Amino acid sequence: MELFLARLFDGLSSGATYAVIAVALVLIYKATTLINFAQGELAMLGSFFAYILAIEQGIPLYLAIVLAMLLSAVLAAGMERVLIRPFDPADHLPLVIITLGLFLVINAVAGMIWGFDPRSFPRMFPEGDVWSMGIARLRWYTVGTMATVLILLVLLTLLLKKTKVGLAFRAVSSNLESSGLVGVRAGPTLQFGWMLATAVGTLAGALFVADPFRQLDPTWAQRVLIFAAAAAVLGGLDSLWGALAGGIILGLVESMVVGYVDWIPNQMGLAAAVVTIIIVLLIRPNGLFGSKAVERV
Amino acid sequence: MTDAQTTEAEGSTEPGRLVLQLTGVHAAYGMVRVLHGIDLEVRDGEVVVVLGANGAGKTTTMRAICGMVDTSGSIQLHGSEITGKKSADVARLGVAHVPQGRGTFADLSVEENLQVGAFVRKDKEIRSDIDRWFDVFPVLGERRQQQAGTLSGGEQQMLAVARALMGRPRLLLLDEPSLGLAPMIVQSVFRNLQSIREEFGTTMLVVEQNANLALGIADRGYVIEAGRIVLSGTAAELSSDDAVRAAYLGY
Amino acid sequence: MSEPRHITEGTTAHKVYRWVPWAIFAFVALSAPFWAVHTPAFSIGESTLTFSLGNLNHAVAYMVGVLGLGILVGYNGQISLGNSFFMGIGGYLTATLVTDDGWSYLATLLVVLPVCFIVGMLVGLPALRIKGLYLALTTLGLAAVFPSIVRMEQLRDRTGGANGKRIESDLDAPDWVPLDTMSDVLSGIPLVGEWAFGEGGVSGREADAIWVYFLLAVLTIAAFWVARNLIYSRPGRSIIAIRDNETGAAVNGVNVPMTKTLTFGFSAMLGGLSGTMYAMAIGFVAPDVFGINLAIFLIVGLVVGGVGTLSGAVIGGIVIVFVPVWAAQIQSVPGVPERFLRGPTGTFFLGVLLIILTFFLPGGIVYGVRKIRARFVQVVPDREVAGGDEIVVAAGDATGGKMSRHGGGSALEVDEDVLDPDGTEHGAAPDAVPASAQQPNQGEPT
Repeated sequence: MELFLARLFDGLSSGATYAVIAVALVLIYKATTLINFAQGELAMLGSFFAYILAIEQGIPLYLAIVLAMLLSAVLAAGMERVLIRPFDPADHLPLVIITLGLFLVINAVAGMIWGFDPRSFPRMFPEGDVWSMGIARLRWYTVGTMATVLILLVLLTLLLKKTKVGLAFRAVSSNLESSGLVGVRAGPTLQFGWMLATAVGTLAGALFVADPFRQLDPTWAQRVLIFAAAAAVLGGLDSLWGALAGGIILGLVESMVVGYVDWIPNQMGLAAAVVTIIIVLLIRPNGLFGSKAVERV
Repeated sequence: MTDAQTTEAEGSTEPGRLVLQLTGVHAAYGMVRVLHGIDLEVRDGEVVVVLGANGAGKTTTMRAICGMVDTSGSIQLHGSEITGKKSADVARLGVAHVPQGRGTFADLSVEENLQVGAFVRKDKEIRSDIDRWFDVFPVLGERRQQQAGTLSGGEQQMLAVARALMGRPRLLLLDEPSLGLAPMIVQSVFRNLQSIREEFGTTMLVVEQNANLALGIADRGYVIEAGRIVLSGTAAELSSDDAVRAAYLGY
Repeated sequence: MSEPRHITEGTTAHKVYRWVPWAIFAFVALSAPFWAVHTPAFSIGESTLTFSLGNLNHAVAYMVGVLGLGILVGYNGQISLGNSFFMGIGGYLTATLVTDDGWSYLATLLVVLPVCFIVGMLVGLPALRIKGLYLALTTLGLAAVFPSIVRMEQLRDRTGGANGKRIESDLDAPDWVPLDTMSDVLSGIPLVGEWAFGEGGVSGREADAIWVYFLLAVLTIAAFWVARNLIYSRPGRSIIAIRDNETGAAVNGVNVPMTKTLTFGFSAMLGGLSGTMYAMAIGFVAPDVFGINLAIFLIVGLVVGGVGTLSGAVIGGIVIVFVPVWAAQIQSVPGVPERFLRGPTGTFFLGVLLIILTFFLPGGIVYGVRKIRARFVQVVPDREVAGGDEIVVAAGDATGGKMSRHGGGSALEVDEDVLDPDGTEHGAAPDAVPASAQQPNQGEPT
């Protein structure tokens, strides 16, 4: 029983962090039907922004994270304007290649500026456990992360459903051509989408590296991208709450499978994620909660 | 909405003033030329109809006006050039386009579809306009929170028209409103267009394959064939023209 | 701008035009190792950039990887990012068979090629249903997973785990290869011989390295030869037809699932070959060599060389090896802190290169070269054969830049490609590169 709970809590913890990055991926996908391969690296960059602001500039942590989110949103706005907008949104190949290029560039720049020595990110939540039973420990970190994710999703849902800019975003997402016909400018709306997604990604990055068991270095996002993508696909690429579900499920599956099945080493969590992507895309491309539109695989 | 409101706050428009003028408009999809020099005009308060067979270029004409296709030539709205402007910018100048196939925002609710139709407006009467449209189209009112994609074809057509009019446009473009709809629904759609016309005096440009219905509500019309205007005249003239009757009216 | 010069097909001028570049390329390819074995260096500012034979061999190995990717992505239209996976299989299989079982390098190909082909086909099966962006994501996942597989506890004996595996076998140049003589000949070239190739004669170690080069070169030439024959054949036309218009191809009798899966297998096979060649060139394999970064680098090589071209893979291989090598050798740049330069500058430049090329030259360098060439020279069909009237040849936008092909190409377009996949035969290709492969849209209505 203890072991089960221990695995459960582990799974929740990692699942929540996958979910937040998945949310960022879903935001971009909703707006553009693109999968932004650079999302993970952007989140990593954001986590460094937060670190620099908090540690080197001495800004209180939560404020530093908010500032980092704003900073990365501005960066994303520039990126969208210069690198994405010139291309026909319907033609995916050049855009995929651009995001792959960004993956390399951001990855390299982070390594160049900050080096590869691991750093310790400040604690976002109190250390220690909320509750424990033997080796099963429900950490404050896990509870804090889950709470943050839930609050984030509620805020995003409110933003999209109740504000004019949210309406514009959903209109563009639902029917790009018709949105132009009612006067919604695609460019600025998509730019907003990128800014939002990147800010969310930065928050996700901060949450990820704030885990007392993790370190901050430029390489953390490479693997996590695949997990986040699997979570997004599983939940349904255009469903925000689906991303949460997908992330949690994936985290739990990874934790349980790796924990209970002896001969599968820890590394194979990644393989499980890839297999998930393949199975979902083959059997039910719109995932658990995605709309039918995603099925044009 | 009254006649006065259709004429916009910036001054009354005399009847007969040019709302839309196309001169020598060519349009192409990539390397495929579809329009070969279209001239047409729409005056304030008129309902003008463009007839033609499938593939003649009717929809392309609509799309050219809204900047959705590569266009050359001159398109003027109230005297200013709008050729090549992006569709969002054309919409903001007071042109509302009901596209072929309705172009419903399937994931948004019926009510949200109407809200987004008023996107460019900043006044306080949006709410009352929405309620007004629910009166005109009670079916929409019943389904106000429903996802628009679940509505029937006819209901979506009504929604699309209401959505377009939510923007209080100076010019309403309708692209094949009858397409894909059952005959009885089509009748009802055109009846509604007629009453909208009577009540609000909206200037309309309607593109239609169903010439009978179209000429029924029109003041004037054009016939387009293979990307060129081949005939124009009043609705009465076109209805009695032998060639038109043979080709499009089924006599 | 002056009229391009017209060369009629079949004349001597035409033959010269066609074969001289190949002759030059052949000479360069033959003599390159003798030049590189002395590791020529160029000084720029405080930095010294070298061109070593080891790097050259590395580049040659990667050329085949880029080629494999190019067939799948450029000629068949399947956006796969997974070729690094197959390179990894090839590299590790060779490493373990040679080191642990005493096989010879070339013998391992007997295992690597079929294994990769079959695994490639297996991967190609789900790829039938997963397309476009989603296939890119899936194959990226595959590429990301490879290092984890190799690190598995269970396989550690064979793979060396996280530390990688040193390959315990040397490739010694056999006595019968006249490397000494070749070196003497080259050094004997008047004026430039000694300056470029040194004094002539090769030591034992030098000979071994040069021998590796020639082995790799032969394998590469074989790979390109097979690829070229495939593309120019009937199956090749089917492959290209699927890229341009899958439904159209199916309707015209192409067995689409079969062709796509086989192409995947073929591409994977070339990937495996590339991995084996890597093992031969470097003598060491490690998990992270074959991960996400290599997968994306291969795309860089493909795009820089030219999507939808074969010769582009040669450029691609060189670029993805030498850009990082040279980037690492840059010691100082005014205004840039030194610690930046010690970071992954190679990755940085490759990423920037990818972005810049997508904007300004989406068809790659090969496409750019053809465009320039077409301004000066065009090949014109023989007047008499063509029936008397001068055939006016349209301004030369040679075919290339397949990156943004939309579906719906006509059958004529397909034939044009196949008759002339390199765009070298006829200057005329009225179907210019589609709009989105040219300057990205400036203000086109959405």
